[in-house]
Amino acid sequence: MHALAALLRKDGRVLRNLRTLAREQSAFKVIFILMFAGGMLVGLGYLFLEGFRFLSALGGIGVMLIRHLFALFFFGLGLMLILSNIITTYTTVFHSDEIPFLLCRPIAPGEILLHKWLETTLISSWAFFFIIIPFIGAFAWHEHLSLLFMLWTFLFSIPFVLLYAGAGTLITLLVLRWVPRWRPQFWVGATLLVLVGWGVWTLFGAGKPQTDDAVFILGRFVPGLKLAAFPLWPSAWVAEGIMALSRDQWLRGGLLFGVLLANVLMVGLLIEGLGNVQFVQAWQRTRAAHASLRELRRVGPSGALALETRLAFLAPDARALVIKDLRTLLRDPAQWIQGLLFFGLLALYFFNLRNLHYHLLSAVWRNLIVFLNMFSLSAVMCSFCSRFIYPQLSLEGQAFWLIGLAPTTMGRVLKIKFLASLVGMLTIGVVLMAVSAAMLDVGWRIWVTALGLAVAISLGLCGLATGLGAVFLDLKQRNPMAIISGFGGTLNLVLSLAYMAAVILPFGALYHYHTLGRIGAGALNAGTAAASVWLIVITLAATLLPLMAGRRSLMRRDY
Amino acid sequence: MIEIEHLTKNFGSLQAVKDLSLTIPRGELFCFLGPNGAGKTTTIKILCGLLKPSGGTIRIRGIDIQADPAAVRRLIGYIPDIPFLYERLTPVEFFQFIGDLYQVPAAQVHATRERFFALFAMEEYARTLIKDLSHGYRQRLIYAATFLHQPAVLFIDEPFVGLDPFSIRLIHDLLRQAARAGTTVFLTTHILAFAEQLADRIGIIAGGRLVGLGTLAELKAHSSIQGPLEDIFLRLTRPEEA
Repeated sequence: MHALAALLRKDGRVLRNLRTLAREQSAFKVIFILMFAGGMLVGLGYLFLEGFRFLSALGGIGVMLIRHLFALFFFGLGLMLILSNIITTYTTVFHSDEIPFLLCRPIAPGEILLHKWLETTLISSWAFFFIIIPFIGAFAWHEHLSLLFMLWTFLFSIPFVLLYAGAGTLITLLVLRWVPRWRPQFWVGATLLVLVGWGVWTLFGAGKPQTDDAVFILGRFVPGLKLAAFPLWPSAWVAEGIMALSRDQWLRGGLLFGVLLANVLMVGLLIEGLGNVQFVQAWQRTRAAHASLRELRRVGPSGALALETRLAFLAPDARALVIKDLRTLLRDPAQWIQGLLFFGLLALYFFNLRNLHYHLLSAVWRNLIVFLNMFSLSAVMCSFCSRFIYPQLSLEGQAFWLIGLAPTTMGRVLKIKFLASLVGMLTIGVVLMAVSAAMLDVGWRIWVTALGLAVAISLGLCGLATGLGAVFLDLKQRNPMAIISGFGGTLNLVLSLAYMAAVILPFGALYHYHTLGRIGAGALNAGTAAASVWLIVITLAATLLPLMAGRRSLMRRDY
Repeated sequence: MIEIEHLTKNFGSLQAVKDLSLTIPRGELFCFLGPNGAGKTTTIKILCGLLKPSGGTIRIRGIDIQADPAAVRRLIGYIPDIPFLYERLTPVEFFQFIGDLYQVPAAQVHATRERFFALFAMEEYARTLIKDLSHGYRQRLIYAATFLHQPAVLFIDEPFVGLDPFSIRLIHDLLRQAARAGTTVFLTTHILAFAEQLADRIGIIAGGRLVGLGTLAELKAHSSIQGPLEDIFLRLTRPEEA
């Protein structure tokens, strides 16, 4: 274990240097980020608290729900952690330049994987802590729990995070080591196996009426609650353990903590053991697959010609830039898989709105859900723009001189990047918003408003991300995460979220008050007209101002 | 000593290395030459254990790399063409980290660091973050750190890329000294003049196959070309020859 200790000591030195680097940052930037983070925490805490109050006000079923929400919350976060860790492990382990460096040193591969498990846990769990702090705070406040409740939650959260992140690391290792690529029969077989497993589970496992009648009844209202309450999930141990300790049931709480800890140690052993015998093979297999794919691409039929034919209507320079960006994105699965996950989960939810029987709710609720869906879709669009569109110019990196020397203008390059992003965003935004509205069976006015907002938000977010990406261009940085988490990236995310709230809230409030009967048809018409003007003005500002600033900044730059 | 027997490496339908057999004795400075895509880097990566061979065996100081990779890793040092360095460490901290990994005593780490930092004129940058170092200083640092555990076999891919004449001379002398002290040095380069000056023996690979092997005099005799190494290289690596 001396190598793991050496790697951890190295991490300690890096951390110390990061502290020094942080001190060198501008005070404005640090204060801005801290205020933003603090504001987000307070805002989320307030939203959670309002949610608990709303459920309490419902009485009976609402109060029962609050008690079970805790297990559902940890269950959901656990699944998110596994997904997040799979992506992080794939990018930071199997596509990292550090691995060949370490593999040539006298370090057991299991120790490398153990170290990477700890590292990816840290990377993939910050969002978990960011969400759990306001949730737990609001829950403790609402239920009048002592401060010790926060302490127990923190105590349980560490092994919980390690356990689920470890599951993600193991899944990635096993998939990359053994899953055959490009064999449709394997994927068909695997899908069938999952479906059969799910069927068996439904018939003989979780599908059976529960001994806990409350869970069974509540499960009919809240999807996933029944599944989350399954007593063998670690998330259920965490929820139960924290509540036990809060009720001074020390033995039960301690026992559940011990079970959790034993499982973490077991996962650690598995990671080290499997890492020692399989990690190098999995890594070599990933590398060898890239090399053979290069060969296949060289000799096999290429999609390039088809792409060029389909985009023949574009000017040659625009076509060249768009095709280059498309190829770069498509050939990096780690990038597009994240996008697919972003919107895929949202699409799954929208398409299931009818299965959740939301279309049978009253008009007040359906309108509210349409606007809440609009918020969630826009929030995902904000993260997508920050993650993929904002850094696209910076990621040109050392090849930027190619564009700088090309017989085109920087303004035109910026316009092409903006329009290409807009086409993608518009397609996703309008389609998903249309699905949401159709599934909820809302009236034509809400339909038009929802689609209009989707178009406007696509425009505004793409303008902000492209423009600010040009203003805060960083050609030295090759890591997209570092570009995104810089000052420009943070500013883009904050402005995008603020813009999103500024355009959705007026329409949402108008329709909500109208369906509640607090404002009449005349006031709704006048309000809609005013909100539409506001939408146009603020969208034009969010689109054009950053693009103009970005264009000016690009023209002034040396390459 | 490096012993390679019937080494092959396939990437799908592409055969990157074809039946390579080669023995490089202790203390020899061996230059491995070849055009782009000939299989040089693939060979070095297999020799370091980074890639698994499709066939054949490799022994470093008598240890089979497939059977006991951990023992081999203790014996070797590898410097790729674009070496990885931890950007947010300083050269001193990077040295400490390498010392930790190889379990080199602290006093030896300190002494080696002092010697190499003085040799490479790096004292001024000892506590600068690596991300702020120029390419030349980063290369100097990786050489210094690689010599810390006194490797018995050294693999270097393109040692002179992007270096100034001062650094090139330093590394040139360092490699010669290491070979004299008993280290086996296996390096690839495209700068044929350096291969002529440096190498005890030269191997030329083209299309994954070894097409020339020997001292400069032996290569001249074998190819019946009395001109510089460049002429021999161009003759042997012509597509019809390869």
